[in-house]
Amino acid sequence: MFDALDMGASGLLAQRTRLDTIAANIANANTTHDASGRVNPYRRRFVVFAPGHPNKPGSPGVRVADVRTDASPLPKRFEPGHPDADAQGYVSYPNVDLSIEYVNALEASRAYEANVSMMEVSKAMINASLRLIA
Amino acid sequence: MFVDRLLNQGNAPLLEQMLRFTAARHRLIAENVVNVDTPEYRQKDLSVEKFQAMLRSRVERRRDAGDGADVRPFDGLEAEIETPKSGLLFHDGNNRSMEQLMADQAKNAMMHNLAVELLRKQFQAMELALKERVS
Repeated sequence: MFDALDMGASGLLAQRTRLDTIAANIANANTTHDASGRVNPYRRRFVVFAPGHPNKPGSPGVRVADVRTDASPLPKRFEPGHPDADAQGYVSYPNVDLSIEYVNALEASRAYEANVSMMEVSKAMINASLRLIA
Repeated sequence: MFVDRLLNQGNAPLLEQMLRFTAARHRLIAENVVNVDTPEYRQKDLSVEKFQAMLRSRVERRRDAGDGADVRPFDGLEAEIETPKSGLLFHDGNNRSMEQLMADQAKNAMMHNLAVELLRKQFQAMELALKERVS
């Protein structure tokens, strides 16, 4: 019964990682350079979940199996005066769609809440069982 | 031997099985909630109907066996009745239904509370009998 709490914690961790990724996407929605300063537009990142506890192999739960980058084409905008513009005057921007990120963030925070309420129920059930002894 | 019979007579073992079942089912529901966004994950469940039918048949078997019967014939029920949940399959291969999960979770927690309360009452009665007074 106690591992239901660990399981809930693994869900919280996974959903928080997802929210962190979404936050990074939104923060970098207009980033056209990479960390070393070269022109290399940011690509959208997303997490992939897989069943199984992240720290205890064989236990039920959920873990972040991978953080992948979105290979979809980068949108181009016509900005001839921009220092990162190509020969035709187009600038490549990150393939981050804010509406997609918002919907995903909403889903992640709802899933987080669902896990919190499951953990509350687990706690109440464990407490009720423990009161049998005392 | 006396204590063993005291604890395993009547419906105490049935309540114990109910607790084991609801705890096992709670774990599965929590696992389903945790994996609500996992691709290719199929929701799992324990069938309450099958559990009750099995419990009933074992109670009858115990009753028919009479006084010398095994007092704990119920162990391991929950392992036998795991069934995959049906439901709308999404494009990521997950048949999630958060509403159904929350309803199942509430029903299951109520069943657990009921079993705990009934057991507690039995233990209280036993305690009063041991003290030989009604308080």
